[in-house]
Amino acid sequence: MKTLRDQYCVVGVGETEYSRASGRTTRAMAVEAIRRAILDAGLTARDVDGMLDYQGGDSTLANHVAPDLGIRLNFYMDVMGGGSSTEALIGLAMGAIEAGMCNTVAIYRSMNGYSEFRIGGTGARAAQPVRGLDLAQVPFGMRSAGQNFALTFMRHMYEYGTTSAQVARVKVAHSRHASQNPKALLKERVTVEDVVGSRWIVKPLHLLDCCLETDNATCLIVTSAERARDLKRRPVYIMGVAGRVSKPRLDFHWAHGPITRVAGYYAKDIVFGQAGIGPEDVDVTGSYDAFTFTTLLQLEEYGFCKKGEGGQYVSSGIIELGGGRPNNTSGGHLCEGYTHGMSMVIENVRQLRGTVDDYCPRAAEGVHTYDYSPGRCRQVKDAEITMNLGWAVPPTGSALILRR
Amino acid sequence: MPQPVQYRGMTLIVPDNDSEWTEFYAHARAHRLVVRKCTACGLMRYPPTHACPWCMELEWTWQELSARGTIYSYEIVHHAIQPGFRELTPYPVVLVELDEQRGQPTPDEALRIIGNLVKPDLTPEAEANVAIGRRVRVIFQDLADHMALPQFTLADEPAPARVWRLPE
Repeated sequence: MKTLRDQYCVVGVGETEYSRASGRTTRAMAVEAIRRAILDAGLTARDVDGMLDYQGGDSTLANHVAPDLGIRLNFYMDVMGGGSSTEALIGLAMGAIEAGMCNTVAIYRSMNGYSEFRIGGTGARAAQPVRGLDLAQVPFGMRSAGQNFALTFMRHMYEYGTTSAQVARVKVAHSRHASQNPKALLKERVTVEDVVGSRWIVKPLHLLDCCLETDNATCLIVTSAERARDLKRRPVYIMGVAGRVSKPRLDFHWAHGPITRVAGYYAKDIVFGQAGIGPEDVDVTGSYDAFTFTTLLQLEEYGFCKKGEGGQYVSSGIIELGGGRPNNTSGGHLCEGYTHGMSMVIENVRQLRGTVDDYCPRAAEGVHTYDYSPGRCRQVKDAEITMNLGWAVPPTGSALILRR
Repeated sequence: MPQPVQYRGMTLIVPDNDSEWTEFYAHARAHRLVVRKCTACGLMRYPPTHACPWCMELEWTWQELSARGTIYSYEIVHHAIQPGFRELTPYPVVLVELDEQRGQPTPDEALRIIGNLVKPDLTPEAEANVAIGRRVRVIFQDLADHMALPQFTLADEPAPARVWRLPE
């Protein structure tokens, strides 16, 4: 396996506020997030010469955003896609720099995911005619992400005895983390009873098993380790990356069995092989939590526990701050806000810098209390290696391993 | 192009050049469940596609099936996304493993198909009767002269394996 381990870095991160009524265009939000990431890296507009973004017909393209900031590009590309794109585009950015096409790449996602284009097939997406591949599912009232994935979750409960109460512990953990995150949309801590007592959306998913549609923009900056050495921030090194790894028959995830197997089954050897480490070496995980179940399935598939034991793993306390390997310390998509995955990479970059933006008064200087009670600290002490588990659909996922 | 079909607020479109679905629906309208069968390796596939996913052969024929199977997984939609489905909630969506070609060409493979579990009058089956492992058969829902949807209804047959539904 070829590896570019430690030769590229994430040097800047930035985002807009998370809201459900941004009141502005995706162009305006993208500009703000990219500007913040450039300043965070200690760079100027002249230093950025590459741009990548992902979207689903719901955003502003790079050729409009870059000129707004005075950025002249040597390379740019707009990619169709949602979840799992962040990690894949980090890999593409490394490839573009490695090929000599550009030096420093800004990667962004900007979305009015609640106020304008909702994900689940409502609003502007509801009126689209049903044709082609959609005819195998949509006429049966199976359209939204939750409806698309619920068959997989139900089968997991059947095969492995996974319970609603176990899965609810993912939401409980992430809500505790969000209570330490000033940016989070939902800062209130919830209990297992709150989750399993919330109304059904599509069984086996309750309302609180589902993430939060959100308006926001996010950005991160990738450059070579050589370039990163001169910058003001401690660089975060990319140890391994896997992008949009797929199962067979990825058009219909239920066509190829076992349907409880997700893309991480195929991605783990790629990303751990590049990094030269195993799951036991990872201090913090960021597992795409479009739903509580997606976190559980991915943690299993990447080997943080045995296949089928995800229910026990997530309810053991290990995924909570203060536990052995916290997951989604920002609160993730379930509580902080839904960003199609980029926010979880941004969070892990900040964890590795030691400057997570919690309520500690001197957080920006890297001074934390490690008091994980509500409204306090969410910095993991001495985090050295983090991993992101990106999810698009059950048969497609990405992964990223970072170190400080 | 055949007229688009209006169904529960959705516009279903099968253009003339969409050979994969046009003939599938024509057979369904005659109440036959068909899938594509590779002329080289003999393996069948669903949904209809243009090459064999097992051997890449382009030639295929339609193969009629017994239209019987077992519920492999299911979900119960309580919050409908599509407005036309709101009056049906809670409604079941089932993933059915058909009897033909189970465990081929690998132990995890099967012909699987999505549908609603309905009563013989095509209204949603009661949730208490929906379970993994239960036997079902296809029942066709006619939508237009050139289109019918294959749906599923419970079959009065013993379950071949463990029957399980989400605990209340």
